[in-house]
Amino acid sequence: MDKFEKLKILASAAKYDVSCATSGSQRENSGGLGSAVSAGICHSFADDGRCISLLKVLFTNQCIYDCAYCINRRTNDIPRAAFTPEELVDITINFYRRNYIEGLFLSSGVMRNPDFTMARLTKVVKDLRQVHRFNGYIHLKAIPGADDALIREAGLYADRMSVNIEIPSEENLKYLAPEKDYGSVLKPMNLINETQQEYLPARRTACNTPRFVPAGQSTQLIIGATPDTDNQVLHLASSLYNENRLKRVYYSGYIHTNTADSRLPAVDVPPLRRENRLYQADWLMRFYEFKVDEIIDESNPDLDLELDPKLAYALRHPELFPVDVQRADLHLLLRVPGIGPKSARLILSARRYGHVSSYLLKKMGVVLKRARFFITCRELTGRKAPDYQPNHLRMMFLDKSARKLTPDAVQLKLF
Amino acid sequence: MNMLQYRYDGTFPGFLSAVFELWDRGQQPAAIIPPDAAPGLFERIMDVPTVNEHADRVWKGIEKAGGKRLCQRFMHVFLSREPDVEGLMLFILKQLFDLKKNVANDLSLNEVLRFTQLERKVLREVHRLYMFLRFEQAADGTWFTPVSPKYDILPMTLNHFKSRFADQSWLIYDTERKYGYFYDTKTVEEVTIENSSFDMETGSLQKNVQSPDEQQWQEMWRTFFKSIAIKERTNPRLQRQFMPKRFWKHLTEKKLDE
Repeated sequence: MDKFEKLKILASAAKYDVSCATSGSQRENSGGLGSAVSAGICHSFADDGRCISLLKVLFTNQCIYDCAYCINRRTNDIPRAAFTPEELVDITINFYRRNYIEGLFLSSGVMRNPDFTMARLTKVVKDLRQVHRFNGYIHLKAIPGADDALIREAGLYADRMSVNIEIPSEENLKYLAPEKDYGSVLKPMNLINETQQEYLPARRTACNTPRFVPAGQSTQLIIGATPDTDNQVLHLASSLYNENRLKRVYYSGYIHTNTADSRLPAVDVPPLRRENRLYQADWLMRFYEFKVDEIIDESNPDLDLELDPKLAYALRHPELFPVDVQRADLHLLLRVPGIGPKSARLILSARRYGHVSSYLLKKMGVVLKRARFFITCRELTGRKAPDYQPNHLRMMFLDKSARKLTPDAVQLKLF
Repeated sequence: MNMLQYRYDGTFPGFLSAVFELWDRGQQPAAIIPPDAAPGLFERIMDVPTVNEHADRVWKGIEKAGGKRLCQRFMHVFLSREPDVEGLMLFILKQLFDLKKNVANDLSLNEVLRFTQLERKVLREVHRLYMFLRFEQAADGTWFTPVSPKYDILPMTLNHFKSRFADQSWLIYDTERKYGYFYDTKTVEEVTIENSSFDMETGSLQKNVQSPDEQQWQEMWRTFFKSIAIKERTNPRLQRQFMPKRFWKHLTEKKLDE
């Protein structure tokens, strides 16, 4: 089988993994090829609008497991392929030299046993780093069940490592993938976290200490393949961020690829809107100083699909508003719908020089048609959120956000 | 009294020389205009020659009063070449030199806000060059790429490419502004090309001067590009939003679609 055929099969097999970030790692060029920029660089955008920054492939799509949600499960009748480490290194270097990619995203089905697979993956990244002196970004999967020593070695070459949890609750994972459980997934995750902590103190005193997974860990949860609620999903994500020190949790709307299995729901289109709401909630936790319990709780276990979670929070808490943009602290400014982390900081810096007018707010990028109900600003008069019935306000925003979400369906195109 | 307009030659040192002239002559109501500006009916126009020594003094003056970062910001904003850019810069310089006040962070001033936004635009274009530049290998082993950025920012990207592609000899050519930079794995120098062996429109190398396996790698990349998309989530609108059409002519994975 030639390289083209392999690339086609193994890239298609990897496409359901949504992670592709290249941020969080600064790697200077120390001779050889490449560098990593801490802000990350995307190099292209696929036809589905997702960014392409890494050569995202599987080492092999042969797999000994039979997870119902996975396209590479052993009982699925699809063409199988495997790269040799040399082929993969060759493609990575040649793509990199043409500035197509930022580096390599290497995942794999489990071939023979976890140790065998992990050893192969480690060999690829070790060759890239040591033989070809490649300083680009490398995202590597840790294979659950692989020997600790292998994972600890691989972590010295990779910028980011990840283990996918995939199913947001253990009982459903066991239902769809009887060979797996949370323990086996969390073990490598904890190992990487602990090893990172071991390397940290030495790194503070001597900068030539080797770096272990400098860009941290990420994971992925599939949304809509199981009846798990948003409450479960977000609480799991929150604990992953806080306890396992993950950098990112990705949410992937389930795409119905396994039509033969009655354990999976037959959905025509992936739950894109729910996925979008989850990402918004995730952003609230990471950049807006929200706690998971403020976003969602047992009594309403699913996010409001019609309303973004921040607006929903503001409508549930009219007592916080209106907020005085001239005085409020960052934490409170971040809770105002229509003000984001960037504009909140711009407000802080602008008001040291004087009065922040509504004109200026607009120029800073504050969305006034939402924010005006939640802030006081000298010339912004009019009714504020607490003056409205919560339901009335919800209806007002609902129309707008509904229109925004499906522009094609609502707005007629002129051309 | 008529407003006096200082016309400079369009370069950054030229602009700084005009600034020097303006302060040197004492400030009447005055403006600085680029060479291609339409002359007003009633203004007096004075052409200012570029004097490097003058430009240096102004540059040092900005650095002393506002710091190195402010110097950089002026250069970035200047590169945007928006019609009002000289006015904005002059506004901030007046506060800086006459009132000894650095207002470049006071976003409550309209001019400063616009100044900040212009800088962001220019820096975004720099980042887009990092993203969307595509090298092709020529038969002699040199890596070639045409670019056509919206602003004249090619010099700002050199450090990035120099450090990233340190061990390969490359040539980046701005097809809009007809100049480029050549890196021979040690130093970077400016070049202009007279007889080009590349397509004037897209900048693609002609096939006979490409390295033997170049076409194969481009085909590999297109294969990957097609395979990585999820059919069920196709969203051309989103794709164009992140990757505007003006870049497509240089993109290996997109130029055949056009």
